[in-house]
Amino acid sequence: MQKALHEGVKRGDTVLEARGITKIFPGVIANHQIDFEIKAGEIHAILGENGAGKTTLMNVLFGLYQPDEGDIYISGQKVNFRSPLDAIELGIGMVHQHRKLVSAHTVIENIVLGHPRAGRVLDLKRAEVEVEELCQKYGFKIDFKAKVWQLSEGEKQVVEILKTLYRGAEVLILDEPTSALTPLETEKLLESIKAMAEDDLAIVPFITHKLPIVLAISDRVTVLRRGKVVASFETKDATEKSLAMEMVGREVIFRIKRAKVERGKPVLQVEDLSAISDKDILALKGVSFTVCEGEIFGIAGVSGNGQQELAEVLAGLRDAQGGKVTLEGKDITRSSSLERWQLGMGYIPADRIDIGSIGDFSLVDNTTMNYHFDKNYVRRGALDYRKIRQLTEQIITEYDVATPGVDTTAVCLSGGNLQKMILARVLSRRPRLVIAHLPTQGLDIGATEFVRNKLVEAKKEKAAVVLISEDLDEVLSLSDWVAPIYEGEFMGIIPGDDARRENVGAMMAGLHLQGEEI
Amino acid sequence: MRLGSTELKLEKRLTLSGWQAALISVLAIVFALLIFSLIFILADVNPLIAYQKIFSYAFVNPHGLPLTVNRFIFLLFCTYAFIIPYRAGLWNIGMAGQFYIGALATYAVLYAFGAKSFNNSNLSPVVIIPLMLLAAGVGGAVLGAIPGFTKGKYNISEIVVTMMLNFLTFWLVAQMIKEGGLFMNPGGRGESFEMPASLHAPLIADIPFTIFLVLAFALLLYYMFAKTKIGYQIRAYGKNPAAARYAGISALKIPLLVFIMGGALAGLAGYHYFAAVPGVYKIARNYGYFGDLAFYGIICGLISQGNPLAAIPVAFLFAGMSNGGRFVQGELSLGFGIDYALLGVLMIALVAFQFFYRYSIVWQRTEKEISDVGIPN
Repeated sequence: MQKALHEGVKRGDTVLEARGITKIFPGVIANHQIDFEIKAGEIHAILGENGAGKTTLMNVLFGLYQPDEGDIYISGQKVNFRSPLDAIELGIGMVHQHRKLVSAHTVIENIVLGHPRAGRVLDLKRAEVEVEELCQKYGFKIDFKAKVWQLSEGEKQVVEILKTLYRGAEVLILDEPTSALTPLETEKLLESIKAMAEDDLAIVPFITHKLPIVLAISDRVTVLRRGKVVASFETKDATEKSLAMEMVGREVIFRIKRAKVERGKPVLQVEDLSAISDKDILALKGVSFTVCEGEIFGIAGVSGNGQQELAEVLAGLRDAQGGKVTLEGKDITRSSSLERWQLGMGYIPADRIDIGSIGDFSLVDNTTMNYHFDKNYVRRGALDYRKIRQLTEQIITEYDVATPGVDTTAVCLSGGNLQKMILARVLSRRPRLVIAHLPTQGLDIGATEFVRNKLVEAKKEKAAVVLISEDLDEVLSLSDWVAPIYEGEFMGIIPGDDARRENVGAMMAGLHLQGEEI
Repeated sequence: MRLGSTELKLEKRLTLSGWQAALISVLAIVFALLIFSLIFILADVNPLIAYQKIFSYAFVNPHGLPLTVNRFIFLLFCTYAFIIPYRAGLWNIGMAGQFYIGALATYAVLYAFGAKSFNNSNLSPVVIIPLMLLAAGVGGAVLGAIPGFTKGKYNISEIVVTMMLNFLTFWLVAQMIKEGGLFMNPGGRGESFEMPASLHAPLIADIPFTIFLVLAFALLLYYMFAKTKIGYQIRAYGKNPAAARYAGISALKIPLLVFIMGGALAGLAGYHYFAAVPGVYKIARNYGYFGDLAFYGIICGLISQGNPLAAIPVAFLFAGMSNGGRFVQGELSLGFGIDYALLGVLMIALVAFQFFYRYSIVWQRTEKEISDVGIPN
């Protein structure tokens, strides 16, 4: 393991410094004269909305891009990264938001992969011992023998962090470290991050939203807006409000009021529904609930407690092991997802890149995903592309999707715009039942506000909305009913007015609250 | 790369127009021919003369051109057999097997009507030719349905299944046409019985009618992928199977369907080559040679990037080169395998040049002069 950087570095020494970084892409100044520095043992968060230039800066620091202007210094020495390999060599590690792991391999194999010492023959035993040491030191827990595809997002992230640490990183760049994590996982990660900082590692988390995290963890925070540094404070001088102001450039309303809508007739009835997960265990253990017209039914829980399975069973993408699902009086337990779409289901999946959209397809073709089965848009087997194009143009205007046009491919859209596009496409069918799984995950403040408002609008139009979220505040502020889920079971169903952080939080952790069930 | 005050740089292309793609392909062909002329020079042959002979035989000569056209029809069927699954992200490596089954099904119809024993010329072509076509298509489709079903239902690699079926069907043909086989030629010779003259396919200017069939499929497939619901579903499944499933597209139906369609077209190639090409009219002894040639459908499909219309010139070129290459090999007494070597070099060049579909080479002033201009703030 190379220790070039660590030797002689004392706590408080500046380990990485960027001076006047400017990066120009055709038509955009992505970074403009950015100054940034981090000391050993410090946690220095970089905050900015989507498109503020965070990714560009990150890639410059990691050697993926060469800056057009400006210099990078490591421990006071000017360096020139030609590629990420140079950066890794000098002790910079990057943990990507979109995990770059080999899903068919085990955890330890992934950690060792690409390590300079790995060579041709893998000495996994030795690696296990050494990585176990890292785990102990920073409080990570992971099964080395598990295959990566079996892991939750949080566990995958632990693997990525271990991989970087094992390669000897001294400066850790974390891209949206908590965006895919559950509250519990987040808490654990934050502890580990603090432990790493205690150990004199320098840590740079890049964060779009989740201001509380920034406040809880960082020593310093630098805010980017439109490619420039607009503010840089000691975290103790910042508040959630001041950070949001700097990020967005205006005041932001954090809470959306729950809309009062008269409760209509039942739309979705679920009785004793159970399902088996990909790992072949019973992940959903008999849940029952009813959602009526004009209601938002919020399911709060830490990821991996059966939410994914529940969403998929409701959407017809996973077989029910037992129980019954009724949509407007019709038994749909055995119906295909196609039939459910036609009956008025609208599903917004958690994974918007790999499930919710087709990256290589134009926006028109992405809209078609929800219309290829619609008789009004198909004539004698041929798609009515003129109509679908009109519809696409209309929904991107209505949902304010930032794109050069409807022929742009979906892969070019930013996360927030892609989510708006998916939402627009699904809600444009005026579904009777909306299943929204992690609808605001990873979105910036502006887009989050927008998505939540649209869900409330769907409710006002008499749709039944099932909201599955890990963001407790989101569930509490939007839902008429709150069902905390734990290990595949509802710990109770509480009317929205009675739901508090305290009681719902306790139930998410597995406590049954007596007397409050309905 | 730097030359004086200018610099050669690779730049990522954002868009690629049809004519740019065509130009790149033509450059690739020129490049391949230049490289291949080394082989001719090593063999003490003037490359210009060799190419003149290849091209004139393949595309001008009254004996050579019909051979080229017949191979072209054959190859284009096989290309479509590849392209349809390819657009669904699946690899049909089984066009050879589907082609063999198409040929066997064609001869099964003849056998059923007693064409083997009587060789009578009273059989009505109006009835039997469509029946043969139908049988060839259905035969190929049934064989194609196997990998399609195993892929869709059990997620078994379609590549392995199609490849296995190729071996199986190769020997099945041998079993049927060689000594003691049901379709054996009465004279032995290791080929099938000949079809009666009355059932020979109608010719238009010495070209079998199958050319209209295959060109009709070109338009049909183009339309299917561009406009229809099923074409959309195939493309969606091809780009992102999980998203397609989410959108209500059946993960069983699409693999099954594309392999049935692909297999049917490869089956028609079996009808074409052994029941419609003048002078053949039987399952020839060297049917394995055409099985090998069928694999060029993969190459043509990849080069044309799954575009059914672009596949037409590509298949025509490969048909001509395989034909002309074989001719010049005999004509100039060159070593064995010149024709396949030529196809190989062409294929590598065309595939390698697809790099330029994504990148373009640009000339640029060197950085020094740029920094003199200064970057605007």
